[in-house]
Amino acid sequence: MESEDEALVRRMAAGDDQALGVLYDRWQAVVHGVVSRMLRQPDDVEDVVEETFWQAWRQASRFDRTRGAVQTWLLTIARSRALDRVRALRRRREEPLEGDDGQVVAQQAAEGDPGQDAEASERRTIVVAALSGLPPEQREALELGYFGGLSQTEIAERTGQPLGTVKTRMRLALQKLRSQLQVLGSDAGEGGSG
Amino acid sequence: MSDGMAHDQAREALEALALDALDASERDAVMAHVASCAICQAELAALENTASELAYAATPLPLPAAQRDRIRARLMARAAADHGSREPRAAATSLRVESGSAPARTDATPLRPYTPVRRRFGPAAWMAMAAGLVAILGVGAFLNASRERAALREALQAARAANGTQLAALDSLRSALATREGMIANLIGPQVAVMTLASTDPASPTGRMFWDQQRNAWTFVAHRVPMPKSGRTYQMWLVTPTAKISAGTFMPSPDGEVMMQATYALPKDSLAAVAVTDEPMGGSPQPTTAPMMVAAK
Repeated sequence: MESEDEALVRRMAAGDDQALGVLYDRWQAVVHGVVSRMLRQPDDVEDVVEETFWQAWRQASRFDRTRGAVQTWLLTIARSRALDRVRALRRRREEPLEGDDGQVVAQQAAEGDPGQDAEASERRTIVVAALSGLPPEQREALELGYFGGLSQTEIAERTGQPLGTVKTRMRLALQKLRSQLQVLGSDAGEGGSG
Repeated sequence: MSDGMAHDQAREALEALALDALDASERDAVMAHVASCAICQAELAALENTASELAYAATPLPLPAAQRDRIRARLMARAAADHGSREPRAAATSLRVESGSAPARTDATPLRPYTPVRRRFGPAAWMAMAAGLVAILGVGAFLNASRERAALREALQAARAANGTQLAALDSLRSALATREGMIANLIGPQVAVMTLASTDPASPTGRMFWDQQRNAWTFVAHRVPMPKSGRTYQMWLVTPTAKISAGTFMPSPDGEVMMQATYALPKDSLAAVAVTDEPMGGSPQPTTAPMMVAAK
């Protein structure tokens, strides 16, 4: 059965710009949350949020519901665009990491949830729980790579750890996260589909 | 199965590839192997799905209202301009001012040549303007705008090809393109009225208001507008026989350019004039000075 978001994307693909407005209203806070985690300058954040939804509009016809939920697709675009910006900024200014300094993701979950889509909230609860089950050093490697946009070499330089250690941590972290999500997802029943 | 990198070696790098955390040379080698290895392709797809879930760990953060509306307005304008033909949209019910001046504009506004007309207006000038200056937007202006948009698109593509090294130029072009597309979206409607605002100031600022009556979109473009005195701003008014409705405040850019957009539903027959006054910063509920620019419908 087609979800509300899938219907919006289908309408966008058909050229219905009102559907884009509705999708934006529904997901701007979630997209903004991800982009703000990766970029600090308000102008950069605003630009990337806009470009995320613009890319969704332009590529709506390519959305494939069999490959994941609309919000996951949207967040993947957001992260990709933010990552482009993080790396371009770093190349241009050689500035330190724009993303967080290894802050613990699980702590953010306690800050509250400004009333977003119930399925997304459930998803977030599961992901945060899965992350909290990782050893801190593995979680740090994941976060520096995902939100910080750092390569393994850059993570090694930043943390002072051998490159081989960073590689191992990142590999184990994603594998553990994968299995944790499977377990938690199945515990949550249909809410864990994605 | 292997294409320069052993399967086991590539397999161990798939997590980092899914997180886009490999250095360029290693990434290329791993991807070359993946391209010819069905096992690694399936594993990579599963790991990418897992990696994409990490986005949910970020706490949702609603945009501030002004920023949220600004982005939304630009998106809607860009989407509207993305179509060759579009269905009319529902009338807006509230006024939304997008911007004052347009910073970072490379503005050679593609409007028809304008011959400034100097007039002097007394205090009762508001309703005294009799000559209608409304015209349907000319084809020439649209073609000029379209050509400029095409040129901007080409420049944007070229800047993207520079692979991020020209980020500042890219940002500037993107901003210019978004501004231009938003403007074009409000200029190409079949029912766009154009009002030329004559100046009462010897410095002769010139301006035009484009009123897309289908979309209730108002686009004001002006040139040679002097910077108001400290603590003052300019305010746009939509004048009807019974009211003077604020369409928002604006400031010119340092070179005197103005591009302001607003959305306001107004019955076609109720507009008597548009006017600009000098007001205290933040605007006034009603005009407190004589108009420095005005056009009558």
